Amino acid sequence: MPVEGQTATLTAGFSRERDGAQDPVYLRIRDLVYQTCGIYHSDEKLYLLVAACKRRMEGESAKAHTGKEYLDLLSSAAYKESELRGLLNEITIGETCLFRSMPQLNALKNAILPEMAKERAKIGLKKLKVWSAGCSTGEEPYTLAMFLLEEKEGMLKGWTFEVHATDLNDRSIETAKAGIYGDYALRNTPENYKRKYFTPAESGKLKVKDEVKARINFSRLNLNDDTRMLFMKGMDLIFCCNVLIYFDMTSKKRVVQHFFSNLLANGYFFLGHAESLYQVNDQFRLVHLPGTTVYRKPGADTPAGGKS
Amino acid sequence: MREDLRASLGKRVGKLRALPSSPAVLNPLLELLHRPVEQIDLKKVVELVSYDKTIAAQCLRIANSPLYGRARETESIQSAVVSLGIQRVEDILLTCCLHQLGAGKEWATDPEVYWRHSLGCATVCREFAERIDFRDPEKAYLAGLLHDLGILVNSLMFTQEYREVVRKAKERGVPLAEQEAGDLGFTHAESGRILGEAWKLPPAVIEVIAFHHDLTGNDNRNPLVALVHIADLMCRYRGLGYGYEEWRTVELTADPAWQELCKHCPRLLTMDVARFTLDLDAYLPKVQEVVDMVFSSKLEHAESRSSR
Repeated sequence: MPVEGQTATLTAGFSRERDGAQDPVYLRIRDLVYQTCGIYHSDEKLYLLVAACKRRMEGESAKAHTGKEYLDLLSSAAYKESELRGLLNEITIGETCLFRSMPQLNALKNAILPEMAKERAKIGLKKLKVWSAGCSTGEEPYTLAMFLLEEKEGMLKGWTFEVHATDLNDRSIETAKAGIYGDYALRNTPENYKRKYFTPAESGKLKVKDEVKARINFSRLNLNDDTRMLFMKGMDLIFCCNVLIYFDMTSKKRVVQHFFSNLLANGYFFLGHAESLYQVNDQFRLVHLPGTTVYRKPGADTPAGGKS
Repeated sequence: MREDLRASLGKRVGKLRALPSSPAVLNPLLELLHRPVEQIDLKKVVELVSYDKTIAAQCLRIANSPLYGRARETESIQSAVVSLGIQRVEDILLTCCLHQLGAGKEWATDPEVYWRHSLGCATVCREFAERIDFRDPEKAYLAGLLHDLGILVNSLMFTQEYREVVRKAKERGVPLAEQEAGDLGFTHAESGRILGEAWKLPPAVIEVIAFHHDLTGNDNRNPLVALVHIADLMCRYRGLGYGYEEWRTVELTADPAWQELCKHCPRLLTMDVARFTLDLDAYLPKVQEVVDMVFSSKLEHAESRSSR
C-alpha cells in the first residue's frame, strides 16, 4: 500500500536539529566566529561559546543583553573588532595550563616522534627544533620541554632538542621565564612530572627546575614582523594554539605562510583544538591522529597514501 | 586476496557446521530498501517492526533517542514510522535485528565496542553521504552498518584465536585487518564476504564488506566502498573505532578512496574536513546512547523469546 501524499513528510521526517534547544542566534554567532577567527564550536561544544557570549553580556557596561542584541553588536561596523577580541578572550580564558592537550602529546609520543626518529636514523641527524609561537606565560613550551626530556630517556636517547618560545607580550615573556605556577595551571600535570621537574616555591606554588628552563629560548616576537619571521628557519614542530584566532584573514594567511616556510619537509604544525586552516592555507596537509588533527608540510617524496 | 589464502579460508569455513543465520526480517527488509521510496508499503514496514517484540521495543526507544532527531515522543510503531520517515525506521530495524545475531553468544571481542563501531560508522556514512551529495545516502547507512560483518564472523567462529589477534592489535596499536592478515592469513573483510554471500546480501554491500580496507579489488568501482572506507577511518580516529587507538598518521585527502570519491562527489573537493571531524565528536554520546539502549534490553529479549 503506497501511502500517497505522505511521501514528502516521510522522507523529510528526519530532523537535522540535534538538541532542539539550539538557539539559531548562537548558531549564527558560531558561524561568524568560525569565519572570522577559524575557531569552531561543534554542537557538543556550543555551550562554551554560549557561556562566553553570556559573560560578555553581563555587567552594567555590557552593550548587549540578549543573544540577538549580541549578534547585532558583533555585526556592527563600529564595535565588531573590539567585541570580537573581548569574546575571544572569554573563549580562551582559563585554557592555558600545562599539559593542556593530551591528545596532541599522545600523538607526538606514539606516532609523530617514532616516525621522525625512523626517518632521521637513516641520515643520522638526531636533532629536534621546536617552536612554541604565542607561548603566553610559558605553559606550552615548558610542557614540551619536559615531555621531550622524558622522551630523551627512551625513544629520543642521544638526541638534542631546542625549544623556541616567542610571544608578542613582554610581560608574558617575563612571567614565562620565572616559571612559577599554581594549582590551576598545574591541574593537568602528571604527578611524576611535578616531582621530577619542579621545586617548591612560595605559597604552595611550584617552580620549573633550571634544567628544563635551560632547554628553552624565550624571546619577544611579533608574528606580523616579516623580517624576523624569516629567521625562524629549520623547525621540526611548530605549535601555535589559539593565537591565529586574533588575526584577520590577510595576516593569518601571511603568518601561516611563514610557518610553512620555516618548517622542514615532513614537519608538523599544531593548532588549538577547535582551530582549522580551512581557506587559510592549502599547502599544509591535514593529518588525522587518534583524537586530534595536525597539519603536515609535505615532503618532496610524499607518497599518495596507501592501504589502511 | 591471494589464491592460497582464499583456499585456506575456504577450507576453514568449510569445516564450520553453520554460519550465523540471518535474522528473519533482514531479507524482507533489504527487499523493501531496494524499492523507490514512493512504492514503499507503510503497512508492511509496521508489520515487520512488530514482528518481534524485542525489536519493536528497541525500535521505539531508539526512535526517541537524539541520534534520530527526537522530534517528538513516539509511542506507537505507526507514529514512529510516520514521524521518522520510512528510511530511518528501516535503519533502526536493521540495527536491532543485526544485534540479535550475536546476542547471548560468546564473543572474542567486546560486543558493545563492535556495535558502537558499526552503528557509529553507519551514522557517519549517512551524514557524510548527505554532506557531499552522495547519490545513494540510504544505502550508505546499511553499508556502514554491515561493513565489519567479518569481525562478527571471526569473533563468533574463531573465538579463541581471535581473542589473541585483537589483544595483539591493541597492544601494538595497529589496524585490526593488519594483525588478522599476519596471524590468521585472512582478514575480516574476507570472512565477512563469505557470510554476506551466504546471506545473499545486495552485491554492492558485499563489495563494501570485501574491499573496505583494500580498495584494489573493487573492480566495479563501487563508490560506496570508498565512502565506507573514509567513514570507517574517521570513526576509528574519533573514538568510534575498535576500542583502542591506532597510532598511525592518516592523510584522508591523499587516500586513493578519497580521490575516487571526489570523482563522484565534487563537493568533496571543497569540503572543510577539519570542521567535519569536529562535528563527528557530537556523534559519540548519541551513538553511545543507542548502544546502551540496545544492550539494556536483555530482559525484554528473554521475555519475547519465552512468549513465542
